[in-house]
Amino acid sequence: MTAVATAPVTETASRFRPHEIWRIVRLHTVNPSIFFGVPWIILGGAWAVTMVIALILRSAGISDAEDGFRYSWAVLSPQWYLIVVGVQALAYTFPFALGFGATRRDFWLGTAAMFLFVSIEMAAAIATLVQLEILTDGWWVGAGMFDALWYGIDGWLVDFYTTFALQLLVLFIGASITTVFMRWRMKGMMILLFGAVAVVLALIAGLTFTESWPAVFDWFGSIGLVGVFTVLLGLAAVCAVAGYLVIRRATPR
Amino acid sequence: MDESRPIFIQIAEQVENDIIDGALPEGSQIPSTNEFAAFLRVNPATALKGVNRLVDDGIVEKRRGIGMFVTAGARERLIERRRAEFAAQYIRPLIVEAEKLGIDIDELAGLLRAERIQS
Amino acid sequence: MTRTVVRASGLTKRYGSFTALDGVDLSIEEHRIYGLLGRNGAGKTTIMQLLTGQIFANGGELEVFGRTPAEHSDVLRRMCFIAESQRYPEDFTPAHVFKSAPWFFENWDAEYAERLVSDFRLPVKRRVKKLSRGQLSAVGVIVGLASRAPLTFFDEPYLGLDAVARHIFYDRLLEDYAEHPRTVVLSTHLIDEVANLLEHVILIDQGRILLDRDADEVRGSATTIAGARRVVDDFVADRPVIGRESLGGLASVTIDGRLDQAERIRAAELGLELAPVSLQQLIVHLTGTDLAGTTEQEAAA
Repeated sequence: MTAVATAPVTETASRFRPHEIWRIVRLHTVNPSIFFGVPWIILGGAWAVTMVIALILRSAGISDAEDGFRYSWAVLSPQWYLIVVGVQALAYTFPFALGFGATRRDFWLGTAAMFLFVSIEMAAAIATLVQLEILTDGWWVGAGMFDALWYGIDGWLVDFYTTFALQLLVLFIGASITTVFMRWRMKGMMILLFGAVAVVLALIAGLTFTESWPAVFDWFGSIGLVGVFTVLLGLAAVCAVAGYLVIRRATPR
Repeated sequence: MDESRPIFIQIAEQVENDIIDGALPEGSQIPSTNEFAAFLRVNPATALKGVNRLVDDGIVEKRRGIGMFVTAGARERLIERRRAEFAAQYIRPLIVEAEKLGIDIDELAGLLRAERIQS
Repeated sequence: MTRTVVRASGLTKRYGSFTALDGVDLSIEEHRIYGLLGRNGAGKTTIMQLLTGQIFANGGELEVFGRTPAEHSDVLRRMCFIAESQRYPEDFTPAHVFKSAPWFFENWDAEYAERLVSDFRLPVKRRVKKLSRGQLSAVGVIVGLASRAPLTFFDEPYLGLDAVARHIFYDRLLEDYAEHPRTVVLSTHLIDEVANLLEHVILIDQGRILLDRDADEVRGSATTIAGARRVVDDFVADRPVIGRESLGGLASVTIDGRLDQAERIRAAELGLELAPVSLQQLIVHLTGTDLAGTTEQEAAA
């Protein structure tokens, strides 16, 4: 004799479930080297190279290398790695979490929370390092790694904001593109790729034929540094939302 | 464990054999269901079925909180039952095989006596 | 009175033009060990993936603990799904897996997991990438056992485990199941090894259920009768035949059903041989193959 399973499960009434979301954050940090170790190793390596170059220049008697260092991309060196981290969070951690009984919604929310923490951490650290570099006059040897590109110009808060926006975008872009693969596999990726290329080409063609490039540059100039990075932040938000919508029906295989 | 009959029947029969042999005297305790299951590597539910069969036949009884024990008179009951089945289970096939080989009734009786003396 | 923990009706799953599951009806009662048997590609993994919310159905209804499983964490947290090819995050070690398991399985027993680690001789600090196939399977098996999840699925997790390790798994499973009853669903090719563990057998072939019966009923539910062809044919004349082999004038016919005492005697008189049919053999007859389709299934002995 079997009985119908009547109301055997207590439905969690609240849709905000901190425990389920927090455990995803913990899952990402079980191996802390991924988000916190390797990026700093990369930055450390780039810093070491920068120092060596600075010392060589010093000993060769060149003292106005500051301008050269301003164009150094070393501060952005971990970003390529962090795109891959975003991809792998979906490619590996997602199937694992799903296998352990996480919901897709909680996984995306937990991963987004993780991305937020990491972006805040990186932004605070780098903005601070910029100030330190300025204070020590290039680490006492005139080296320029953090006080480069757009950094060190408008103060700690702007540096924090720009790094935060960029970091969030880098992490979300890798992750959200991978959600497309997780849901629609190769076909989806191809469509996304060709679609993106088509849109970019159309945009470039359109801007070229209407000779609007100067207008575009003017506009970017007018919104300033903070404005440009707000656009990037907006893009990160778009990726975050898109990823959430796509992952809802994604499957691990 | 052979595949021709359900395992729970084989478990029950093994216990019955042990009772008849004297390995499990009346009043002694038999292994628990879980012990049977673990030892024979079978599902506990199967072991339970076998033990329940013994309970239903009155061969074994459950003493709450202690375990399962062989009932008084179990051995006699089993022997009675086996006697009743003896002819159909052993004699008939013996006769069938003997007829196949052309061994007549007198020769068969002689063989029986000879084997008896030897064992 | 036992509870139904899974109820599926008309469950369908398609991958493009390929129908993996075709209108499957099944129900799973609590506190039993189920065997989900079938060939590669028959649909066993698909069923398990649907039941654990890993994939979405194209049709039919599915209830696990009273609700559809996908995206409902109150259902998902009561299940543990050990898949044949489980992926682990980059650079994870078994230690990482066991550390994160209690966050997902509220009944996780860490001490039990430790005992199992030494039973299976698992190097917990070695990266999952560097583990052998057998050690990888051991990780899955340990999670499945130590999770004590009310509904646990083992999708052929013992591929790569050697015979000794497999028997350790069966022993631990039975032991733990006896002490902490739960519902276990096992899918496998190695039918003879697990046949005695199963309480209920579900046989699936090409997306359809062929058999869904109590294991004890299935065991010994068929008989093979062999002898001179005409005699055999005569004997089985009005019985359901599920398999037939012949060599010259001899025939071996497998029928669905047991012979009673009288029939056994008559068979002996007719000079016919009777042989039992194991679960494995029965399935061979029903599906026309021994289920171990590819060489990958050869158990590393």
